[in-house]
Amino acid sequence: MFLNGLEQLARRKIVLTAVIATMVFLGLYWWGISAASTADLEGGHGQGYGAAKMLGPADAALAAIVTAAPLAATLVTALMIVIGATMLPEEMDEGRMPFWLSLPQTRLRVYLHTSLAPLALSYALAIILFGGIFLITRSYFAFTPRNIPLVFVSMLSWLTVVWAAVILLSLVVRKVASMLIVFFLTAVASLFGGLYEIMRMFPGEAPAALVTITRTAMYAFPADRGYRGVLYGLIPRNGTITENLAFFGVTASIPPLHLVYAFSWSLVLLALGYWKFRRMDF
Amino acid sequence: MEKEEILNVCEVSKSFRRVLALKDLSISVERGGTFSLLGPNGAGKTTLMKILLGLVGHDAGKVRMQGLPVTSPLSRKGVRYLPENITFPSWASPKVLFRQMERVRREVSAEQFRNRCSELECLELMKRPVGKMSRGQRQRVALSLVTCGDPVLVLLDEPSSGLDPGGRILVRNLIRSLSSRGTTILINSHLLGEVERVCDTAAFISRGKLVAQGDLDSLSRHTGLVWVETLHPESMAAAIGEKGYECRTEPRGVTVDLDEGTDFGRLVSVVLDTGIEFTGVSRKRENLEDVFLRIMGDEAMEADIHVP
Repeated sequence: MFLNGLEQLARRKIVLTAVIATMVFLGLYWWGISAASTADLEGGHGQGYGAAKMLGPADAALAAIVTAAPLAATLVTALMIVIGATMLPEEMDEGRMPFWLSLPQTRLRVYLHTSLAPLALSYALAIILFGGIFLITRSYFAFTPRNIPLVFVSMLSWLTVVWAAVILLSLVVRKVASMLIVFFLTAVASLFGGLYEIMRMFPGEAPAALVTITRTAMYAFPADRGYRGVLYGLIPRNGTITENLAFFGVTASIPPLHLVYAFSWSLVLLALGYWKFRRMDF
Repeated sequence: MEKEEILNVCEVSKSFRRVLALKDLSISVERGGTFSLLGPNGAGKTTLMKILLGLVGHDAGKVRMQGLPVTSPLSRKGVRYLPENITFPSWASPKVLFRQMERVRREVSAEQFRNRCSELECLELMKRPVGKMSRGQRQRVALSLVTCGDPVLVLLDEPSSGLDPGGRILVRNLIRSLSSRGTTILINSHLLGEVERVCDTAAFISRGKLVAQGDLDSLSRHTGLVWVETLHPESMAAAIGEKGYECRTEPRGVTVDLDEGTDFGRLVSVVLDTGIEFTGVSRKRENLEDVFLRIMGDEAMEADIHVP
């Protein structure tokens, strides 16, 4: 069933579009970075660069990664939401679900195998995108990433949250509505994720209500934790400005428990989705 | 010797919100043979079929297939189902669809699938995307996918839907051939003519309740009409009519209306006495449409039935 799902997705125009967009994005990124690398980081192109004299290749790499990552994340999230929200409903609407369920297999197997395909595809695309960003950046600006294994784990945690939410919502509110809700949740999670990091830098100064709302948003939809983990793992460990950017929440480290929580919460969402799926009549 | 039961539905009830789909319905199907579910639209036939496959849950009662509760996936081992409305991915060819199915069921070889395709005259469509097939071709492919190999039980919801007369004959032959090899077949169809040609037993369902069940011969009654087969219908009708029988001529014989209490044997001697050549005298029995109309009563008039 999982392979069937992948085969099905591979034929969809949205996936082809996402693959083309990925290639174009990486191509443009390559072109941009190669052009930027010819600039004299130590010297100066006029007065504005005077302040940047102390910066090195690792700082340039950080700037490049921090600029490209949100775009890459948007592309992967969008693909995940669209294919995740349509995977199960499409099988139901086209009348194939009774066909699959009439075979000697459990509902849990059908549910998991069918819905796992969007996660696998999005994860693969995310690896290509972020891996591409990393390799292109590194080939022009020498730097040592902070934690590559963390990138893989965080990426999986981020995508798993989005995936579990979209699968659950696709069974409750169906296709377009579920896409919009998850897009909204992702945006809110990103906003409050950033606020959470800022509040971590200035403890005790934020209003109590904001702290509560921020934490609630973060725990209700912990996708942002994973995304920040990806960024944290990718960025250079030896940059000059890295620490200074931490208060933006861009380069802050993610406590491992946050990732564990994100995985656990995904399981809860997935279980709720299965609870709904198991009770459905086909 | 009593035959083994393959399906057992015991006092099953099912409601969809406030709509009662099945009410204390009990049906038993023996292994082997061809069984049909008949009834007007909305009678609960498809719901029953779906309950058997665990696609729809039931509110009360017990349902067992192959001796196992239908909640167990093992009860569906060797069981095949063709839903009435199924849309395969337009890009997929029968070859791809078969591969996808076998990833799950692992029961049939590619050779067996090709044989079935050949039987249903769709072997040449093996590599054609489903999106480029006619409705009838898609139905043949779907039937090949579902019935290939040696299934134990096949549930077909409107199997002749979208098929031309040639296709219907192929489906009929397929059902007979499966049945002769011991496969139990459960059909849900509005095409009573098709059902009559292939089914041994039937259950009539109305408003979610079982109205009648049995083999088609026992369900069908004598009509009170007698058929006299002859190459000289005009002269035969005149001769019989002279004896006081009401009759009408037809292209290859005469239909005689036998009043209640009139002796069939006496009519046979009248026919013999005419001295006109004839090939047979038989009592006419109800066809399935007549049985359906009689059993279903007024509800049958609301039914969407088609007799080819």
